[in-house]
Amino acid sequence: MNSRLATVSRTLGLGFAAVALSATVAFAGPIEDRQQAMKNVGKAMGQLAAIAKKEAAFDAAVVKSAGDTIAENVKTFKALFPEDSKDGPPETWAKAEIWGNMDDFNKKADESEAAAMAMAAVTEEANFMPAMGALGGSCKACHENYRRPKE
Amino acid sequence: MKRTIAALIMLAGATGATGWIVAAPDPRPADSLAAHQPDIENGKRLYTASGCLSCHLPAKDDTAADRSLPSGGHELHTPAGTLYPPNITPDPETGIGGWTDIQFVNAVKLGISPEGEHFLPAFPYSSYTHMSDADVLDIKAYIDTLAPVKAANKAPALPLGLPVEPIMRRGLGIWKMAAFEPTPFQPDPSKDEVWNRGAYLVTGPGHCGECHTPRNLVMAMDTSRWLAGGPHPEGIGNVPSLRGLKERGRYKDANDLATALEFGETLGYDKMSSGGMAAVQTNMSKLPAEDRLAIATYLMNLD
Repeated sequence: MNSRLATVSRTLGLGFAAVALSATVAFAGPIEDRQQAMKNVGKAMGQLAAIAKKEAAFDAAVVKSAGDTIAENVKTFKALFPEDSKDGPPETWAKAEIWGNMDDFNKKADESEAAAMAMAAVTEEANFMPAMGALGGSCKACHENYRRPKE
Repeated sequence: MKRTIAALIMLAGATGATGWIVAAPDPRPADSLAAHQPDIENGKRLYTASGCLSCHLPAKDDTAADRSLPSGGHELHTPAGTLYPPNITPDPETGIGGWTDIQFVNAVKLGISPEGEHFLPAFPYSSYTHMSDADVLDIKAYIDTLAPVKAANKAPALPLGLPVEPIMRRGLGIWKMAAFEPTPFQPDPSKDEVWNRGAYLVTGPGHCGECHTPRNLVMAMDTSRWLAGGPHPEGIGNVPSLRGLKERGRYKDANDLATALEFGETLGYDKMSSGGMAAVQTNMSKLPAEDRLAIATYLMNLD
């Protein structure tokens, strides 16, 4: 392959990548974004739950990475519930009460983020279960009021 | 919702002269109760399993109220309108302080008030009716130990401005004839004690079927689809089915579900918070471990 062709194909490749990337950004709306963020949180919670249920050994590195992942994703929630995202498609389980109580909703998101950061900072096994209770409790506090039951 | 309103209108319409007579409440006489030595500890356990406080909470905006006491007033959105569950603290004026044992049993198990009115079935007497008299009387004995709160009751707001009074006096009597089966809980002798305890807690005090069993045309729980899930009673999404929990991989085994009922999202069980389940799970967390395991054992064995 001569160098000019290589440059062209590289440019094309980059171009395709850019198109693909912008397409992803352009097509994903706040509902998809928050559902993806929730999935990320759920996956990290799964790692922590395994430790809490003693299915996995306490591992400070896992706890830190899971806590960080949850904090980073929860941080994005507040921006992912704009007024025009009450209804899908795609189907959303967010309750209309969110938009009537945005201050409380944001406060609960902040509390959840703080609980996740506290979890990420846990290095001693003795501090793990209290952190888990606070973190899981913050999920419950929000889901209780603002998520519709699904299935 | 539309169906419910139509059913209510039909109920109101059907409350003719004949209906007025046959739909009169038929409470049990006092001598139908066997002598009973109340067990307050058991009463507290059943009060918790029955979720009494979860509905009889003070109103949300009543910041001065003690939220650990069932002084009522908390808004409840149901297909039959907005209801305000009453004060069930032992206050003699505004609560149930002056009630006799038989009045309490008639209220909880037959949905009949001391004044001879039918309670709206949002009060889950369709489930509580399957409880034993002894358990119901123990709940009363426990409630009698709570601090009395003076808090006046608020009348329900029925859809389309339907009149509360005739519906509660008679209309609901017609509904009861079609939809209410006051049968005692029947243990299944082919199953063990744990399973039967679970079946009792789920069917009676736990009143799980009120949300998890779909309703038929007369708004009764459709027992042919027992705990099979359906539309949420408040119209927000769907209530999950509790059948085939194992086959569908929801929970590994009874211990897993018992753990979920105890800890909920604290251990990452994210199905335990929405649509009113958070309050249920909080109540379950306060039950003795053996009751949670019994409930889980029964539920995990539903096909």
